[in-house]
Parts: sequence; structure tokens; C-alpha cells
Amino acid sequence: MLKSYTIDGFENIQYQGYHALLDIEQRLGECFKRHGYRRVTTPTFEAYDIYMDDDAVPRDDLFKLVSRKGKVLALKPDATLSVARMAAINHHDPGEIIKFYYLTNIYRHFSEPDVKKEITQMGVEYFGDNSPECDAQIIRLALKSLELFHIEKLQIDLGNVGLIDALLTKTDLDADARKALGKLIDKKNVDDILDFAKTHGIDEAVADKLARVTTIYGKPEAVLEKTEALCENTAMRRAAAHLKAVYRLLCAFGLGDAVTIDLGFTRTMNYYTDTVFKVYGAHWGAPLIEGGRYDALSAKFGIDRPACGFAVDVLGLMDYLEQNDLILPFSEARTVLFYAPDDIKRAADIADSLRERGVITETFPLKGAPEPVIARMGHTGSYKNARFYCIRQGEVLKWQQNRFDRVDDIDGVRLYPADPAGSPVPHRLV
Amino acid sequence: MNIKMALAKGRVADKALETLTAMGYVFSDYSPKSRKLVFTDDTETLSFFLVKSPDVGTYVEKGAADIGIVGRDVLVEHPADVYELLNLDIGKCDMCVAGFPGTKIVYNKKITVGTKYPRIAKHYFDTIDQPADFITIGGSVELAPILGLCDCIVDIVESGNTLKENGLVVLKKILPISSRLIVNRVSLKTKSDDIDPIIERFRAANV
Repeated sequence: MLKSYTIDGFENIQYQGYHALLDIEQRLGECFKRHGYRRVTTPTFEAYDIYMDDDAVPRDDLFKLVSRKGKVLALKPDATLSVARMAAINHHDPGEIIKFYYLTNIYRHFSEPDVKKEITQMGVEYFGDNSPECDAQIIRLALKSLELFHIEKLQIDLGNVGLIDALLTKTDLDADARKALGKLIDKKNVDDILDFAKTHGIDEAVADKLARVTTIYGKPEAVLEKTEALCENTAMRRAAAHLKAVYRLLCAFGLGDAVTIDLGFTRTMNYYTDTVFKVYGAHWGAPLIEGGRYDALSAKFGIDRPACGFAVDVLGLMDYLEQNDLILPFSEARTVLFYAPDDIKRAADIADSLRERGVITETFPLKGAPEPVIARMGHTGSYKNARFYCIRQGEVLKWQQNRFDRVDDIDGVRLYPADPAGSPVPHRLV
Repeated sequence: MNIKMALAKGRVADKALETLTAMGYVFSDYSPKSRKLVFTDDTETLSFFLVKSPDVGTYVEKGAADIGIVGRDVLVEHPADVYELLNLDIGKCDMCVAGFPGTKIVYNKKITVGTKYPRIAKHYFDTIDQPADFITIGGSVELAPILGLCDCIVDIVESGNTLKENGLVVLKKILPISSRLIVNRVSLKTKSDDIDPIIERFRAANV
């Protein structure tokens, strides 16, 4: 009986999957690198304290541990926070431009058993620039990084959390009530927003605007037109102007047709302050990339520096590619050498020569007749398409069409020294 | 493009289909007895399928369905990451605490509550600071207090007839329920040309 030790929310990655995963990571990494980003890594643990003061991540969702000294640690639940902390510690000039990318696992202790708790994220963070140009560059890079995988119908959904924030500050709700209202806004549930406003004594005009904002989404020009009419104070006008500027820049990049705007965008991460965006692909019910601007986060770590970034859920992307047949099939030619006890060194030498040429080569000692061994092995998973050879008394035999034939070379590796007289003689290494 | 719609089997689906028919959609291949799983309207713009109510949110959240209709009770009990665009005028009822007449729900000792909705029930008793044990039951919740399994129940009450026939009464209404039109977060944006008209028709039918 096999015993099951699997834990809900964590998964093994088989070699075929890992092969695809590695390919994705390499392509993304190369793309980020060529855009000037440098790879960094932060520890798996963070001090629990950095998640204490603001609820960037719900505290119940943290995996907590206690260090030997009694300090509470958390398994990193988010990459951006850690990278921002690192950038603040190592780069003290607030005006410095810093571009980092990372590949890391993050951990969330979700209560639902079937939701993945270990998430592999790859993303970029761009510090030191608060201009719309920076946002547009980041969004373009997000799109570029998905184009690498030939994903069709990429769509950018753009928003700015500053608009709703400005309206919410007019409500004098406490933090909990604001959160509850935020959830309703996020669900675009107009009736519930209005009900909530009534029971919490929110000014009718403000409530009406909050409800209306959630319904303004879609084609950019139409949305932007309606945005002007909504703005009633400097904060809102500033957010609207930023949103418009980012959209205009995306148009200048030739990406205008791929953009929709949603004024009802709420933050998926608490630290977002301004531009937020998601990227969708054809036939998929979830975003492939999420990102945004977080201008106030670095100040928490002592350096007041604006920043913007995005993250790709790498395993999510891999699922997408798999389901849409965009992953290259896994194929790997293996070469297997069986050797008689006396030929151990000869087999090892031939194997090394093949490996130098990039051929995946394995050796196994031969016990008894080779035919049944090869027949059995040829049916097991890893060796289905393997080439089999047998080395006996210095002679190399290839298994093909159910029989052994003597061969003089494997993939260009000469197995016998050329004989001046022309007839090859077995070369023996003693 | 064909928009896929998940409907919660039973009362909500019956009402939703009435509404769809009133809106002008014709599903000639549909009959309640049919063994088919997916039904497409004659203009091939909208398909629907019937699933158990807690699954509606799942289908829509994951994008297997673009839109869905399901009761608020189910969404509160089994939250889904979707847009809840409209509160529909169908399937109206109340989430209630019910029991024998005179049963006290605020009591100086712990009470036992039978329900299909443990999350909603727990949230309610937590807010009134009444200690309670919860027993999750799959169906025929009215039976539980009669057989002495619990002191009271938390369930949806539409007409109240089932309660009355079993000698039970509503002790407290805790949440008004109606059906919700829910939409997948990505579909709303990527299939807006096809989805918007459907939503508009629901909005118009709702007033």
C-alpha cells in the first residue's frame, strides 16, 4: 500500500513540468535582463513585524514560525515587500533609479484546502520614478513578456486606485467598515454599495459616486470622458490625469487597442497607491499578470522612493500554456550502455565522450542475457525512446529491430581506433 | 461569441428561465426532463447549464461559465471571486433563525443550531455574542429540531409553509436574500461586446 503524505495546497512538479517551467523562467529572465533589470533574491523568511503595522497581507494568511530567540518569523507572503525592503537597505539615495527582477516562491496560508499555498512568482520592480512614462514602460514590458509565449488576444485592464481612495476619504468610515465597503466596490455590487451607504450614514452624493464609479469600465475613450465629470477635488483630478497620461503613452507605443480601463479597480495588494493593471489572455478566466504603482511602500523602510512593478504567477502561466497547447512537447533522447563486468572502464569512457557532446548517457552493468533486460526497460517511462547499446569483450553492439549489430561509432564518437590497414580491431582498455 | 451561463438547479433556475424567456430568449431544445447538459438559445448567443448551487460561483470564478445566477445565501456561504453585478428580483426570501414558538435565541447558556449554512449561522451568533454549537445538515433541516437534534435552525424561508406544517416559526430574520447575476472578472472585460447586451436585458427586466 502506498501511503499518502501529500499536504493540501502544495504540489510536486514532475520532470516534464519542470522542463517547461525552466524554459519559462529562462525566457522571462532573459527578457527582463535585456530591459535593464538585475536579478536579486531575498530570504524565504521575513520578520513577522513588517506585516504587523499595515495589513498588506491578511495576518491569518501568514505561515508563522518562532526563531530560537523567540522572534516570530513569517514565510514570505509577498515578493514586492521584500524587494522594496532590500532596495531601501542597500540604496540610500531616494533619487536613484533601481531596476530589479526576482524569481521566488511565496506562501499564503489560505483557509480553503484546494487553493495553492505555495506560489511561484517572477516579476520586476522599478524604483525611483513616479512618472506615467514609468508605468507605461512597465505595462509594455508585462505585455512583451507574455508575447514571448505566443499568447493571443492579450488585453490590458488599467485602473487607478487613487480615484476610489479620494472618494473613500470623504466617508469617515473606520478601517473595518472601509474594508467591507471596499469589498462591495470590488464586486461592482451597486445595490449593496447603496444599502451599505445608507446603514453607515454616508453622504448620498458620495455614495452615488462610489456606486457609479464601479460601473464605468470598458473602452478607454468613453471611460476617460466620464472620468472628467466625476472629479471633484485635486486628488481625484491628479489620479485621473495620471490614468489618462498612461493610456496616451500606451497608445503611443501602439498598444491602445489592447487597453480597457476600469475606474472601479480596487487594490489587490494594500500597498498600491496609483496605477494598477492586469493582463488577460485568450480563453482564460484569470489574469496572467497583475501589477501596479506603490509610491508609499519604500518610505516604510526608511527611503521615500516611488516604485512600480508587476508579477507573473509562473505556475499559473504554465497551466495556461499547457491548456492552450503552447508548451513545447518534452522530448529527451537517452542513450543507455550496458556493459559486461570486464568492460566497466570502457563503458565509462565512451559515456564520458558522449556526454561531452551533450548526449544524455547512462551506464548499467549487465547481469545475464541483455535482451530481456532491454525489453523490460524499454517499456518504463523514462526509457521509452532510449537507444540501447551493449558492450561485451570490448565490442559495442547496438540494439535495433530486436537484434544486436556491431557499430563503429555513436553520434560521431569513434569506438575503435582507425587501423592503418583499414580493418578495425577491437580497442581494449585494460 | 456564445456566452455561457451557469444556473443554480431548482427554484432559482426555474425563475431565471422564466425571466430569460420573457426577455426573448428561446431555448427550443430545453425541457425539464431533457438529459442534455448544455442548452443553447436559437440565436446561439447564450448557452446555459444547470449545476448545484454552490458550484455556480466556482464555474464563474474559474471562467468555465461567463455569467451565473445564484442566490445570495449561496454566495455568502461559499464566497467566489466574481463581480456581483445585479441583485435580481427573483428568488426573494430571508435567511432566518427558526424553531418552536417561544425558543429563546439569546440565552444564558450554549444552544445547538442545525443548518445548511454553518458560515452564515456562525457569523450571526458571533455578532449577537450567543455561544452556539453548529451541526451541518444537508437537507430537510426542519426535521432536526423535531427530533431533538438541535434547539433551532438557520435556513432560508420563502413562504414559511414548511415551517408551519411542522409546528415551527421564524424566530429572527437575519439576512434578506435574492438572486444575484454574477460575472467572471475577465469575461466582463474581454467579452464585453457579447456580455453587455445580456446584462442590459437583465437590468431592463429587473425594474
